[in-house]
Amino acid sequence: MTDMILQEGAVEAPTNAWRAKALASFKLGDSVFRLLAQIAAATVLLLLGGIIISLIIGAWPAISTYGFDFLTTQRWAPNARPNPVLGGLGPIYGTLISSVIALLIAVPVGLGISIFLTELCPQWLRRPVGVAVELLAGIPSIIYGMWGFFVLGPMLADSIEPAIVDAVENIPVLNVIFAGPASNLSLFNASLVLAIMILPFVTAIARDVFNTVPPVLKEAAYGLGCTTWEVVRRVVIPYTRVGVIGGVMLALGRALGETMAVTFVIGNSFRITGSIFGPGTTISAAIASEFAESRDLHQSALILLGLLLFVLTFFVLAAARLMLMRLERKQGV
Amino acid sequence: MNEMMRADALTHDSEGVKIAIRNLNFYYGSGKPSLKNINLSLLTNKVTAFIGPSGCGKSTLLRVLNRMYQLYPNQRAEGEVLLDGQNILGPGVDVNLLRARVGMVFQKPTPFPMTIFENIAFGIRLYEKLPKSEMDARVEEALRGAALWDEVKDKLDASGLSLSGGQQQRLCIARTVAIKPEVILFDEPCSALDPISTAKVEELMDEMSDRYTIAIVTHNMQQAARISDKTVFMYLGEMVEMDDTDKIFTSPAQKRTQDYITGRFG
Repeated sequence: MTDMILQEGAVEAPTNAWRAKALASFKLGDSVFRLLAQIAAATVLLLLGGIIISLIIGAWPAISTYGFDFLTTQRWAPNARPNPVLGGLGPIYGTLISSVIALLIAVPVGLGISIFLTELCPQWLRRPVGVAVELLAGIPSIIYGMWGFFVLGPMLADSIEPAIVDAVENIPVLNVIFAGPASNLSLFNASLVLAIMILPFVTAIARDVFNTVPPVLKEAAYGLGCTTWEVVRRVVIPYTRVGVIGGVMLALGRALGETMAVTFVIGNSFRITGSIFGPGTTISAAIASEFAESRDLHQSALILLGLLLFVLTFFVLAAARLMLMRLERKQGV
Repeated sequence: MNEMMRADALTHDSEGVKIAIRNLNFYYGSGKPSLKNINLSLLTNKVTAFIGPSGCGKSTLLRVLNRMYQLYPNQRAEGEVLLDGQNILGPGVDVNLLRARVGMVFQKPTPFPMTIFENIAFGIRLYEKLPKSEMDARVEEALRGAALWDEVKDKLDASGLSLSGGQQQRLCIARTVAIKPEVILFDEPCSALDPISTAKVEELMDEMSDRYTIAIVTHNMQQAARISDKTVFMYLGEMVEMDDTDKIFTSPAQKRTQDYITGRFG
């Protein structure tokens, strides 16, 4: 018995020493790892700062030449004599309008799909519809561009747009927004393509956050005698509001920056027309279509547009955050 | 034995039966039934407690009474559940209206993501269109009924989620009471609560028992003994015994009941 205890003690001491040694050797590894992690985190900030700085440097000639007039000038004449006249209003307008219209279409449809998938859909249909929506997200944007150019554009111009133009001919305001002549390439076409492209994002995020609602909470609402619609409207959506708005903002960010498909179908016209059936351009489409042939002040103006897109996206995300914070405070959560 | 049970259950009919369950079988998907040939009656304005080991079908039985099981496509019930003589499992029954008559309080507090006031007003608004002043009165009445009014009257605009667990559970009871049900189903309402909150909720159920027909599932046998008039012991999907609570806890007719309440199994 005594032997055993002695033996245990004898075994214990070296074990502790061994462990202490191991811990000491970890110390170096720990500090190296901490350093690496810090460097990785700092890299992100450096990259972000670097991109902003290089954008500002690139845009400086245009900023110093045009100043704030750049934001209010519509004319875009890089070859004008003696000096090019360059204003960013057209692309900024096009970016905002096409993204907003895309959201107006994609958000209700996306929420509808996710409500169907989570609350109404029979089990066997759930996977096929879900997979189809996810596949939409996997289609390269150039394909959407070609489809918009060859299929959607002619369809809109030949039948849908003329019908809408005729229908609202005598209604004030609407007859300006939906004015002819219909064209293959238009803001509306771009907005529809964008809507289809962001639909999977809205749907996937909304579906995921709807699935986070505890079943018992839904049962409690059903237990009061709520219909499915009332449960969704009053319990599921309020419960998941933050996640849904986050998803919408993510989709908006994507719509603002989407380049390839939009460049194909928007018509690349810097002139602003009141009608969404007319051609237009967006910031990223303008940069994509002109950057290769641009020089000097023209190129600088394009970089300035890029900087503006950066700022715009930043403000959209910041606004979303603020909105969420205010909502949360109001709810007292 | 089953024949005896049925006869026993039927003799209660004269005493004012609120819900009569007849030959009820319940299935989660295909395979063996989870409830086997249940026959029993819930008496008007009495508290009936359901006890038994986990998985014996107590909660399942409760979820049949307001057809909550129907939310899940694979679950089905066979047999009859007569609420005031009308078979609620039959076709043509509006489940939304059924659930207004048969309210339910769950194991975990489930306040809705809205203010305390709205948590109550929401349910009322489903069934009645009231002017603001009347709605205020109804909300107050419901909160008083759940012994919660004094604690929340100054913060009706706060989120229901800001309350403590016990307060949330009483909020859920208030919400259920607010739409004036006839039957209230409690599915282990105190299992997530501390002893003080539990005592408050029990006291509340006791007060409520003269106005509502109450069915409560509980794992706490002292609770069943304290608050119920009748107790049902269930085991493996079958009703083993139903009798006056005093009798079940002092001299049960079945050995299995005896074993369970004395802690010999389960």
